[in-house]
Amino acid sequence: MDMGSSASVAERKTAAAAAAASAPAAPKALRRGLWGIIDPVRGAIWLAMAMAGLGMVCAIVGVAALAGVLECLRSGALTLPLLGPLDVWGFGLLAGGLIVASLVLRVLSFVVSHLGAFRLEQRLRTDLAAHLAQVPLGYVITAGTGALTKTLQDDVKSLHAFVADSTPLFGRNVAAPVVTLVLLFLIDWWLALVALGVFIAGMAAMRLAMRDYAVLRQRYDRAREAIQAAVIEFVQAMAVVRMFDGGSASFRRYNTALLTFRGIFKTWVQATGTAARITLAVLSPMPTLLAVSAAGIVLHGQGLIGFPALVAVLMLSTGIADALMPLMWMNEFLHRARAGAMRVQDVMDVPVLPTPTQPAAPGDASVEFEAVRFRYPDRTDVALDDLSFIVPPGTVTALVGPSGAGKSTVARLIPRFWDVAGGAVRIGGVDVRACSPEVLMHHVSFVFQDTFLFHDSIASNIRMARPDATDAEVEAAARAAQAHDFITALPQGYDTIAGDRGTRLSGGQRQRITIARAILRDAPILVLDEATAFADPENEALIVAALANLMRGKTVIVIAHRLSTIRDADQIVVLDQGRMAERGTHDALVASDGVYARLWRTHEAAQGWILRSDASETAPGDTP
Amino acid sequence: MSHATHTIPTLRETYRRMLMAAGSEAPAVRRMLALFALGAVAQGLAFACFFPLLRALLAEPADLTQAWIWLGVMVAATVADLILGWLGHGFEYGGAIADVTHDLRRRLGRQLRQMPMQALARWRTGDLGAVLGGSIDEAVAPMGTLSHVIIRMLVVPLVVIAVTLAIDARMALAMAVIVPMAVPIYRWQRRASGQERRDVAEAHGRTESDIVEYTQGLAVLRTLGQTGAKAQRLQESLAHLREVQAKALMAGLWPALLMAGLVEIGLLVVLALGGTWVTQGTLSLAAFAAMLVIVMRFSEPLALFSELTKVFDLMEVALQRMDQVLAVAPLPVTAPAQPPSDHDIAFDGVTFAYEGENAPALKDVSFHLPARSLTALVGPSGSGKTTVTRLIMRFADPRAGTVRIGGADIRSLSSDALAARLSVVFQDVYLFDDTILENIRMGRPDADDAAVVAAAQAANCHDFIRRLPDGYATRVGDIGGSLSGGERQRISIARAILKDAPIVILDEPTAALDTESERAVQKAIDALVRERTVLVIAHRLSTVVGADRILVFDDGRLVEMADHRSLLEAGGRYAALWTAQLRSKAWHAAPVPADV
Repeated sequence: MDMGSSASVAERKTAAAAAAASAPAAPKALRRGLWGIIDPVRGAIWLAMAMAGLGMVCAIVGVAALAGVLECLRSGALTLPLLGPLDVWGFGLLAGGLIVASLVLRVLSFVVSHLGAFRLEQRLRTDLAAHLAQVPLGYVITAGTGALTKTLQDDVKSLHAFVADSTPLFGRNVAAPVVTLVLLFLIDWWLALVALGVFIAGMAAMRLAMRDYAVLRQRYDRAREAIQAAVIEFVQAMAVVRMFDGGSASFRRYNTALLTFRGIFKTWVQATGTAARITLAVLSPMPTLLAVSAAGIVLHGQGLIGFPALVAVLMLSTGIADALMPLMWMNEFLHRARAGAMRVQDVMDVPVLPTPTQPAAPGDASVEFEAVRFRYPDRTDVALDDLSFIVPPGTVTALVGPSGAGKSTVARLIPRFWDVAGGAVRIGGVDVRACSPEVLMHHVSFVFQDTFLFHDSIASNIRMARPDATDAEVEAAARAAQAHDFITALPQGYDTIAGDRGTRLSGGQRQRITIARAILRDAPILVLDEATAFADPENEALIVAALANLMRGKTVIVIAHRLSTIRDADQIVVLDQGRMAERGTHDALVASDGVYARLWRTHEAAQGWILRSDASETAPGDTP
Repeated sequence: MSHATHTIPTLRETYRRMLMAAGSEAPAVRRMLALFALGAVAQGLAFACFFPLLRALLAEPADLTQAWIWLGVMVAATVADLILGWLGHGFEYGGAIADVTHDLRRRLGRQLRQMPMQALARWRTGDLGAVLGGSIDEAVAPMGTLSHVIIRMLVVPLVVIAVTLAIDARMALAMAVIVPMAVPIYRWQRRASGQERRDVAEAHGRTESDIVEYTQGLAVLRTLGQTGAKAQRLQESLAHLREVQAKALMAGLWPALLMAGLVEIGLLVVLALGGTWVTQGTLSLAAFAAMLVIVMRFSEPLALFSELTKVFDLMEVALQRMDQVLAVAPLPVTAPAQPPSDHDIAFDGVTFAYEGENAPALKDVSFHLPARSLTALVGPSGSGKTTVTRLIMRFADPRAGTVRIGGADIRSLSSDALAARLSVVFQDVYLFDDTILENIRMGRPDADDAAVVAAAQAANCHDFIRRLPDGYATRVGDIGGSLSGGERQRISIARAILKDAPIVILDEPTAALDTESERAVQKAIDALVRERTVLVIAHRLSTVVGADRILVFDDGRLVEMADHRSLLEAGGRYAALWTAQLRSKAWHAAPVPADV
């Protein structure tokens, strides 16, 4: 299913060897991240490991019982400490029973670990989803839905793989060598020492050969990341760049990355090849069998060991090395699971937005910024610095400025996508941090550039704004948003399924549905972020009409790139590099000949641009 | 594109696919397989040495000379096995595996360059990335280990059975019976695991969409209090996933249990028979003891069997996904009837429908655009404007009609020859993680630095580039997000200017920009379009009033074609669009009293 094998075999084998060589160190380093994350299903994991271990014990003892069969065939019966005297059939039944029991235990352990893994998946995804709902929305936006989806989907899946498949193996691999060694020493400690000797010699040789493993592994991992990046770049650029030069320039870049990778990959496999091949040879059963046979011939010749004991040792002795083989699968699981656990932990570690213990309610629909300072996490420059302005209820304020001036930041601080670093944002006289999240969301509506529709009917998508709204109210909102006509023209009307996987709607149509949502919500404060940017001419006219309906009687804060749309705003706040550069009405600002006046002249020039194949003249009103 | 096939691939099919994937290294793969097979024979013979070895030990008195001789034979067979295995693993550790992955990535890369863009659009970027990035390793990496283990699982028992035949035919037959019984169970298991994988993959697909929806809609969901455990849709699909997983687990359990049971219990039965024959005196104790030792070795690879099937499936799926990409035929290039004489563009009765859609995107469209003229494409979204530009780029071939450049059917031009004639400026700009200089030079790889700087100057981006930390040597990745949309757009225009292609296609290059960036990009475009055949898709009609000719599209048809003035006078579709745009332009975000 989700067996990890994107890494090379060479890597896995040598990794197995390294895991074996450094087995005691590995789990300690893991404990905090990985074991912490899978803690909720701890019970299932222990049970699965115990049953797997017990199953292994049964299997090995079952094999030993087969040796008992042999002994009885020679000498009739054998008396065991607890079971008393057993004959051939007694041992046969014992062996059969133990082998069947081991089979059943193996399957049970498999079932328990898988059910635990399924439960873990559900639990982790729910926890992550709940946590994301409490952290600043800004985090969700900057982390990106792509990366967060990857964590909720793929990283959780890698943990699933670890819990489901690795934990039973872990139980088996701990039990096998221990039980085998105990039995071997019980049977004949000379032969046990020989088997152990071969194993230890092999491990020592391997360890010696594996000295550079960490460095090589790191270099290889880096090369793999590089090739992954090169592949993504090549594929992403394909559609765009192909028209440029048939894609030959990007192919050259891709090819260079491929050549580098081949070089490093070759060095890696060749450097670790000897170690890996020695490992394979040692872990294969024959060397142990040969050594035990040689020692057996000597001991048997001197009458120091019975024939059945020799056969028993021959059957059991390879168990120590055998247990190491599955480690080569396990290490890859561990590697991925640890990386996944780390990313899950990173998300869970994002602090939640503090909520007030005694929430206050906003008095009216005014918005006030008072000496607001803000810096994005992981950035050194200040996004907003000492910004103060007041938007009285029922008025329109436009935010204007070059890109990067801080317009969108202002819009995002009002609904608390982030919290300010200094100063305060107030709505209706109350600090937004003192409002409960629900109250805040009910007071503020947004219409953003990127519209979002759920995979649900159009009616439900609109009703989302107010779940108790009647059909008539939903329709009225759709009419006001100029969406009713196109909705009824759809085959299923209001029942048409929208969303990414639903009916394909144009950008303008999606925009109008979100406006209908905002109209139905009827929040007193409205934030518009360049709502008409992507619309084509016909849609633009409809959206404009829809927005006019939406804005009726509201306090509006609008971010507009196209200045003509905000000429009549009550107040224009001009931002430049996070500070307020100017504030006033359009006419006053144009007259004062500052930043806004310059922006306005550029705007007029851009509006007057006429594309000509002989574009020798500049557009009217252009400032050089 | 990760649908598994509904049939179980036979070993022969997998073998064929492996050789296909290995490409020019196929002989190395064959050699590896042969070495592994020979090694397995040697191992089987080494195991078989236990028969005479134990007989010598059990003889009265013990024949130690014989025992040492047979041990010697066993050592020889083991050494042969280890050497053959060592050589076989040379495919991986000698580096041939690196060559195979390298060649495969190259082959797939070349295929991406030549497959029709329409076919390319079938895959999501992420899926293709996974094929070129991950699938190759998934397909190639297990070749060595997997074939080693599988060959051993098949060959060693056969050799042992063959040797046993010489010692005790009943015993050999009893063992041989297990094999034909294992085959149907194996197929059942593969089929069940295939079905299981499909169901679980589907459920995972559903959770993934719901997770995407949840994170994207979080702002809305928060206002509704539908988050975390109260997020209904997400919770439903998480519960569904768990249910499907559990069901798949149980469904896969029986065949797996039966398989393991058959083999382990089957071997027990064989041993029980052996024991009975020993008590009856028809089988020597030594032969029985040897059987015990050897049979124990068979159950080891079988314990790994289910893990093995998973890797096997993964390799199969990876090979199939690569097959799907490699199977797409490139658009045919016919023998050139005549080379393009000029750079005029002609559509002659062109009808085109996108893959998988019945309604044509273009219906019987004909027009002629003279060289060095400016043409605007206008119409509502979905009316066919973008399709026209795509057909000129040979995104796909029209169902009917022809597209000509300079009188030559573009189907007769090689993709390089066609690309050399076109410059395209898209809305979304792709910049490589390289220096700004190299990103521009991409337009014409043999251009010298001075030519690159000149193009940057013409594209109005020289000044901002010089202000970057390392000027033209600044790596795009290092400054990443700090380049604005307008700046990125101007870099792409500099590329196009450097390329100096006679035909320029502009797809709303300024739609997403703020005022200042827009003006800067406009100036860059002015430099680009001089003396070229230009096609522009523009939403703002005022931009294109100066075009030599405006083509108005509606629902895939070319409904009007003339210059701005004539179209306004005609009072048709264009005039209506023009009026609509004037109206929305007059809109201002002024306060609206509540009671209007």
